[in-house]
Amino acid sequence: MINYMKSEHYRLLRKKGLYITSVICLLLIAAAAVVLYYSQHLDPNFPYATSMFFYSNVISGTLLIMIVGLLFNSALTGKDMSLIKQFVSFGVSRHTIFWSKLILTLSYFLLQCVIGLLLTIALGENLFASEEQSVSNFLIASSNMIPIVLSGFFMIHTLKMLKVSEVYIIIIFLFIYVFSDDLLYILFDNTLFDYNPSTLLNENLMSFMNNSAQFDYRHWVTGILVSVISLLIGVKGFAKQNID
Amino acid sequence: MDTIIQTYQLRKTFKKEEVIKPLDFSLRKGEICALIGKNGAGKSTIFKMLSGQLIPTAGDIQLFGKSGKELAQAKKRMGFMIETPEFFPDFTATQNLEYFRIQRGIAEKERIYEVLQIVDLANEKKKRFKEYSMGMKQRLGIALCLLSSPDCLVLDEPINGLDAEGIMEIRQLLLKLNQEKQTTILVSSHILTELQLLATRFVFIKNGVIVDDLSKEALDEKSKKQICLKVNDTAKAARLLEQAYGDIQYKILPDQIITIQNHVEEGGEINRLFNDNDVLVMEFRIEALKLEEYFLGLVEGELK
Repeated sequence: MINYMKSEHYRLLRKKGLYITSVICLLLIAAAAVVLYYSQHLDPNFPYATSMFFYSNVISGTLLIMIVGLLFNSALTGKDMSLIKQFVSFGVSRHTIFWSKLILTLSYFLLQCVIGLLLTIALGENLFASEEQSVSNFLIASSNMIPIVLSGFFMIHTLKMLKVSEVYIIIIFLFIYVFSDDLLYILFDNTLFDYNPSTLLNENLMSFMNNSAQFDYRHWVTGILVSVISLLIGVKGFAKQNID
Repeated sequence: MDTIIQTYQLRKTFKKEEVIKPLDFSLRKGEICALIGKNGAGKSTIFKMLSGQLIPTAGDIQLFGKSGKELAQAKKRMGFMIETPEFFPDFTATQNLEYFRIQRGIAEKERIYEVLQIVDLANEKKKRFKEYSMGMKQRLGIALCLLSSPDCLVLDEPINGLDAEGIMEIRQLLLKLNQEKQTTILVSSHILTELQLLATRFVFIKNGVIVDDLSKEALDEKSKKQICLKVNDTAKAARLLEQAYGDIQYKILPDQIITIQNHVEEGGEINRLFNDNDVLVMEFRIEALKLEEYFLGLVEGELK
């Protein structure tokens, strides 16, 4: 497994797309900050030039973060997947391939998230009027997002390894992480609704905007459940998959 | 003799269609075995099951006497090239091989340059894979197979896209590996004349079943001579042959050609028979049955 991971790392470091995606993400964060900053200078009554509003763009941007996750994961599960037949021929097990690609892309994705978070806080605290406890609120709300974002990343990985096209992946994501709350509310009882990823993300944003963000275990319950189910399906499915 | 590859009742079905029927096959050390069959006969499916790309529906595979979870270890002693080799298009040959060198845990970096030289790509090592011709891609695929100095090579259509010179070079390379390093080779190709020059054993496959398994000597024995005639009236010639020889085996081919598989030693009499009955013989020759003709006869059921 170590040799396989080393080789995939060698490949990953030479992926231009990965660097471009990273730079674009950071530029978008910076651009958002610059736009808010100059809007405030042009219009003194501009109400959104606050660190709270700037941070809320991250808290409400789960889907965007997951799309970045999709791009990072695709670095090793995109067109390069046609080479898997060679890896298998040389005795690399399907389990090794599945987990190695996941660990490597997840590591880089998490690194990108940390850098993005630090940049956001640095810009938020230096360019905008800071409100009391905005950073701690932001960090608590972000920590609530972590399990949901991770579950999304695991689901992306599973779907990519099972050769599901990116269009379907985005549709599945929109369904689970954006629209599922309405559907569950109509179909099922309140308990399921309360643990729904879409509901949790909305509640997290609301409590952040109300300056009342606090650690919520339900995010972890849902995140762990979705992650375990996704990974089980992925590992079992990929182990049985013919590579042609 | 050591057995390198052994399959027991290996089967593969795709959506209820049985592509490989229970298959028992073994490859012994030092053999160069040619797997011969039409498109769709099941050759690539067998190769893919051996390599692990396809999961067998039933049966067992042993490589170097190892099976199950030990197969991964055994595969390290093998080199597979199944259909068109895949590489990273933006990587150069050196980068691609470096990637696989790391993956396969090969310590010596120089091995990359050695194999590139063996397949005559040393001067093209800085070119990106996507800029390679089909033949160069095949060569790089063979270089990859050789990277770990394998004891056994499994090559599906390795000379696909190569020019005549390239084909000859690959043949010589494979023969050299076999003779000098006792490398066992399982190979398939649609260029049967090449296989005839290379292989020491011929396994014929039809609809997922091995229909014949011959050593080179046995094939030579079976490659009997035949009479080939070009006449002005094939129908009359056929009638005369049937009248004169009750057990005659012949085939009428296009361009007024008629081939006779038995009574070859009576060529003179047959020629006289046609002359005496006003059948004009425009061409007369005795030729040996080639692997291609043996194969066609076998898979199309024309040979008795």
